[in-house]
Amino acid sequence: MPQTLPGKIPIRNFGRSKVKISALGFGGHHLGEAPDEKTAVEIVHQALDGGITFFDNCWEYRRGKTEIWMGAGLKGRRDRAFLMTKTCPHGRDAALALTMLEESLRRLQTDHLDLWQIHGMAFDNDPDLFIRPNGAAEALDKAKKDGKVRFVGFTGHHNAKVHLGMLKTGFPFDSVQMPLNAFDGTFRSFEQQVLPELNRRGIAALGMKPLNGHGEAIKNGVITAEEALRYAMSLPVATTITGMDSLEVLHQNLQIAQNFKPYSDAEMQGLRDRCQQDAADGRYELYKLSLKFDNPEARLAHGFPLDTEQSEVQDMLGSQQNTGHPFPEKKL
Amino acid sequence: MAQAQNSPGQKVPAGQVPQKPLGRTGLNVSAMGLGGYHLGSAETDQVADEIVAKAIDHGVNFFDNAWEYHDGLSEERLGKALKGKRAQVVLMTKVCTHGRGKKIAMRMLEESLRRLQTDHLDIWQIHEVVYDNDPDLIFAPDGAAEALLAAKQQGKVRFIGFTGHKDPEIHLKMLSHDFAFDTVQMPLNCCDATFRSFETQVLPEVNRRGMAALGMKSLGGSGELVHCGAITAEQGLSYAMSLPVATTISGVDTMEVLDQNLRVAVNFQPLDGGTMARLRDQCRLAAADGHLELFKMTTKYDGKVGREQHHFPTVEKLPL
Repeated sequence: MPQTLPGKIPIRNFGRSKVKISALGFGGHHLGEAPDEKTAVEIVHQALDGGITFFDNCWEYRRGKTEIWMGAGLKGRRDRAFLMTKTCPHGRDAALALTMLEESLRRLQTDHLDLWQIHGMAFDNDPDLFIRPNGAAEALDKAKKDGKVRFVGFTGHHNAKVHLGMLKTGFPFDSVQMPLNAFDGTFRSFEQQVLPELNRRGIAALGMKPLNGHGEAIKNGVITAEEALRYAMSLPVATTITGMDSLEVLHQNLQIAQNFKPYSDAEMQGLRDRCQQDAADGRYELYKLSLKFDNPEARLAHGFPLDTEQSEVQDMLGSQQNTGHPFPEKKL
Repeated sequence: MAQAQNSPGQKVPAGQVPQKPLGRTGLNVSAMGLGGYHLGSAETDQVADEIVAKAIDHGVNFFDNAWEYHDGLSEERLGKALKGKRAQVVLMTKVCTHGRGKKIAMRMLEESLRRLQTDHLDIWQIHEVVYDNDPDLIFAPDGAAEALLAAKQQGKVRFIGFTGHKDPEIHLKMLSHDFAFDTVQMPLNCCDATFRSFETQVLPEVNRRGMAALGMKSLGGSGELVHCGAITAEQGLSYAMSLPVATTISGVDTMEVLDQNLRVAVNFQPLDGGTMARLRDQCRLAAADGHLELFKMTTKYDGKVGREQHHFPTVEKLPL
C-alpha cells in the first residue's frame, strides 16, 4: 500500500450547473471514527491530493466532531473543495435549521457552503413538514439569498416515496442524495423510482451507501468492494459518497476511482442479478426497514424511541462535560 | 366513551360478547378475541388460566396463538387452560416457517397440537408475513402454502389463513395468489386508518372475497396510541371492533386488562360513521410518521425466528 496516492479521478457536472465535482465523494460520518484529529486531518489532505473534491458532512454527525475535524483538514485548502453539510431540523422550524447552519460554518471554519442539504427525510410526513409555512424550505431559500450556501438539496435513506414526495413539493432543489447500490437496484429501489426523475429534471443525483452502509454484503462475500463501488459510480449520478475512516480505506477507494471505468449495461445487470436473492428481503439494506441508521435527533423530533446501543446515543449519554449546551464544541 | 369505563375495579357488566360470522366458514366468533402472545407474559400459569376462564364466561370464544410465542409457553398455557373447554372455542394458532418448506410446517403443526392438547385446530395461519419476499417463499413449490392445504385435507385444521403486521403491499401480494385463504389477520386501529393503511388497502379486498378479516394491534401493539394520549383504550378497541371484521384480537396479561377489554366488548354496539371519522381525524397528525405504529416502521415487532431465517440482526442488536 503506497503512503500517498496522488492522482486524478473523473470529474462530473453538478446537475445542470457548470460546477465540477469529483465522481467519488468523501463521506463525513466515518471521519469521526478515525482514531484522532491528526489522522483525520491527514485523511482529508490525502483525499484532496488524490483528486477528491466533494466533501460531505452533517450537523448531527458525532455531536459536531466530524465537522470540526473536516474543518481542520480543509484549513488553508478550502478553495480546493466542494463542501457540503446538512441541517437537521427533522420537521422543525426554519429558525432551528439556520442556527444549525451557523454552527456548521463555525465548525467547518468557512464563511459559506457549496451545498447545504436537509438531512434524513425519512418519514411519510417529512415532505409536508418541510414545505409548511415556517418549515425548513424557508431556511434553504434564506441561506441561498444571503450567500451563505451556493446550492441546496435534501437526503434520505428510507423510502423512495418520501423522496418523490419531496420533489412533489415543487421546491427548486439543486441536489438529492439517496442510497444507490446493486441491492437497491432491485429492492424498494431508489435507482428505479427516484434517479430517472432527478436526471429528467437536471437535479444533481448524489449516491450514498455504495457498500450498503457498513459493508456487510462484502464481508459475506456477495460482492467485492470494487464491484460495489464501480456499480454505484456507473449510475447516472454526479458523485458517489462513501465513508473513509482510515488511510487504508481512502487508498482502496482512490485506487478504484482513479482507474474507474464504467460497467457496461450487461455488467450492471449481472451484478443486480447476482445480488437479487439476498436483496429481496432487505437484509443488506437495513436503512430502509429499521431505524438503525436514524440518528437520535431524527427519532426525538418524530417521537420514535431511542436505541441505547446506538453509538450516537452513547455519545449523547456519555458526553463528558456538562457545559450547559446540548452540543458541546471545541473552542475554535 | 364514558369516563367510568376507564376506572379499574369497575365490574364487568352482565351479558356476553356479541358474535359475528367468521367469513364464509359457517362458524361464529366473538367480536373480541383473546391474543395468545400475552398469555405467555402473564405472571403465572394460574393467572393465564383465570384469564381464559373468565373470558369464556363472558362469551369470548376466539383464541389466538402462535408456535413461536414465548418458545411454546403461550400454547402450553392455553392448552392447559382450555382443558375440558376445547369444544366451546374457535382455536387458532400459527405456523412459523418464515420461508422454509412444508415438512417443517407439518412438524410445527404436530407440536402445536400437542402443546394445545387437541387433535385439530379450527384455524391455522402462516405467521408474520412481513418480509417483501415472504409471499414468493410461501408459494414456492413445497412451501408453506402446500402445508396449509395438506393439513386441511388431513382434517387436522378446519380453516387456513395468514397474518402480518408490516405492509399492506405484502398482504396484497399474498392475496394476488389464487389461493383459498379463509382468514386474513392484520393491524387495524385509528392510526392505521390514515397511515400505510390496511383498513383502506387490504380490508375491502378481504371482505370482497368473503374471507374473514381478523384485526389486531388495536392500541398500537403495546398501547402506544393510549400512552401518548391520542385515544383512550375504550376508543381504540371500539374503533377496531366497529370495522367490518370477524373479530378483534387483543392480548391480555392481567385480570385488569381483561376487565377493561370486557367492559368494552360485553354487549358491544358498533360506533356510528361520524364517531369513526372523528377518531380517525383525532389521530391523523400523530399517525402521519408512523411513530405510534412501530410494527410498520421498525423491526421492534419482528420475531426471533423470522429474523434468523431472513438473516436479520437479533432483537438485541437491532431492537428498532
